[in-house]
Amino acid sequence: MIKCPECGSAQYEGTLFCSECGRFLVETAQNITAQLPFAQFGRLPTPPPQIEEELELLASSKEITFFIPSRRERLQRQLQNEIRVGRADEDAGYIPELDLTGYDGVAHGVSRVHATIQLTNQGIVVVDLGSTNGTYLNNYRLTAQQPYLLASGDEILFGDLLVHIFFDL
Amino acid sequence: MMTEQPNYYAILGVDKHASLEEIHEAFATWRIKLKEAEQLESTQYQQIAYAYEVLSDSDRRTLYDSLLQETSAESVLEVHALLSRSKIGVLDTPQVVYLLVNVHPPQQAEDARLPLNLCLVLDRSTSMNGERLERVKTAVEMVLDKLGPEDVISVVSFSDRAEVLLPAGRVHNKVRLLSRVKSMLASGGTEIYQGLKTGVEEMRQVSLSQHINHLILLTDGHTYGDEALCVQLAKETAVQGIGITAFGIGLEWNDKFLDRLVAPSSGQSGYIDDPMQIIEYLEKRIKGLGAVYAQNVQFHLNFPNAVYMRYGFKMTPYAQPIDKEKEYVKLGDIEGRRPLSFLLELSIDPQPIQTRIKLPVHLTAVIPGKKLQKYTFKQDLQLMVLKTPLQEEPPEAVLRAVRMLNMYRMNEKVWEDVEAGNVEMATTRMRHLTTRFLEAGQTQLARQAQMEVDRLANVGDLSLEGRKTLKFGTRALLNQTMSLLLNGDEAGEHD
Repeated sequence: MIKCPECGSAQYEGTLFCSECGRFLVETAQNITAQLPFAQFGRLPTPPPQIEEELELLASSKEITFFIPSRRERLQRQLQNEIRVGRADEDAGYIPELDLTGYDGVAHGVSRVHATIQLTNQGIVVVDLGSTNGTYLNNYRLTAQQPYLLASGDEILFGDLLVHIFFDL
Repeated sequence: MMTEQPNYYAILGVDKHASLEEIHEAFATWRIKLKEAEQLESTQYQQIAYAYEVLSDSDRRTLYDSLLQETSAESVLEVHALLSRSKIGVLDTPQVVYLLVNVHPPQQAEDARLPLNLCLVLDRSTSMNGERLERVKTAVEMVLDKLGPEDVISVVSFSDRAEVLLPAGRVHNKVRLLSRVKSMLASGGTEIYQGLKTGVEEMRQVSLSQHINHLILLTDGHTYGDEALCVQLAKETAVQGIGITAFGIGLEWNDKFLDRLVAPSSGQSGYIDDPMQIIEYLEKRIKGLGAVYAQNVQFHLNFPNAVYMRYGFKMTPYAQPIDKEKEYVKLGDIEGRRPLSFLLELSIDPQPIQTRIKLPVHLTAVIPGKKLQKYTFKQDLQLMVLKTPLQEEPPEAVLRAVRMLNMYRMNEKVWEDVEAGNVEMATTRMRHLTTRFLEAGQTQLARQAQMEVDRLANVGDLSLEGRKTLKFGTRALLNQTMSLLLNGDEAGEHD
């Protein structure tokens, strides 16, 4: 990612003009090293904005793309009501829509019932369901049972498994 | 004629890259057609049968192709594709590459054209009363004057219900037709679906395959409750080859809805702020439609898995967002000598070093003047993945297009922010946008943007006028920038 020198927003490598403030980005691109997902040591992540109002679940559906960098794999899921995130427990007949078993979920500390992603009137939110190792949104550890708004391009850690989330508004 | 090598592909009406199945199919269709017309003894059938004999035999076809290449220098469409860069670095985050494509008719293209099958669908709701309706009537008169003897026109007016003012037909007695149009009175609500449905029924009175079919909607209001029906109808008619242009007059209409209505046929939506301009807009539109060279141009998204299209926008012949289907995007028609140009924003997933990513530029189109049902263009662009690629200057055309498009998208985001209740973010963004307009020398847009910044600070909302002026103003800017860049062409559809 490159950082816009004017407004500080993160932009994908190769972006010509900042999507937030419109600044021309090319002359700066070569001087800035791509930021690695874990390169933010020593810096406190900013907490995501709090949601004040009551949330209403929406009945419509939306296509969500998950990108798992460790495997270079892209997964597409239809978000209708919710996408449950966790590990399947076939004996209990529990298969979450985003099953991370096959992505070394156990080693990465993903709980069976880990988190859920929901489509609401405020936007798309993620809720940690009291998982053992927690859920991080852009390196910020989320309070369990509390909804947080997602933006396309956000980085989510389920335990320590990194997943990028993308969707169209 | 006799000295020219007969083109077997043209005779069969298939593309040079047509598969064997397509050739079989084309021949079967011809056979049925000519059999019905009892023409199986004709020279035309003999030519078709011979063309089929050659092309369906792979050895003979290869030989014929090699001869054809030497004799035919003519191309059907000229395509130029540019990437913002040719090399990308190894990264573990997705990257962006822009693809700009221009499609021209060839220099020597003759102006063969099919007759128009045009339908005007006119809003006569109460709010159209007065100058608006009078201008619309004058505009219809202008349209009747512009049509050729082969063109077919129908006129439908609507409020909460629809009436056929002129049933589909050629213009014989202009005075009589005009008196019917002049009798139109304004009253009632706005139910666009009624008007569209009646209009489409009129258009189906003539053979759709023998005409350039286009419906032009003029409205000044919101339609209530039937948006979904309208869009569904637009999707069905797009498949049958009916294009839609939608013009909104004044400030009350829903621009998002009109965008969705024209998207299935990749038609144009436009904003007419002054009733005086109604005639001018219609005139330009008719001129464009009368000169259609290629129809239903599609860009096929045959990208490898790691590449996907994030966003697309058409800049010429008119500026319009591109509707993304699963496997292709629709780009509408090529009108006259004006090139079609569009920009795609591609996202590339992390790739291992030294990979060559193939980006196919794959277009198809219908060329009515050459009776080509499916013309195909294919070219592969390459993107190299290197450890530390040298910084590349993006091509000037790409840079300008992306710059203008970014302003358009920033403006769209301001409105999304406001709709989401995020006034603070909207204000910051609009302030940035004001600066960008000024940098680009767009003082009028900058002034409007500044007014919206003030309004946001005072009332926490934006004006209807600002919404339309900035949205269609930035679209016009995109169109002009690209038109000038391509060949100093006359400026865009709306100025």
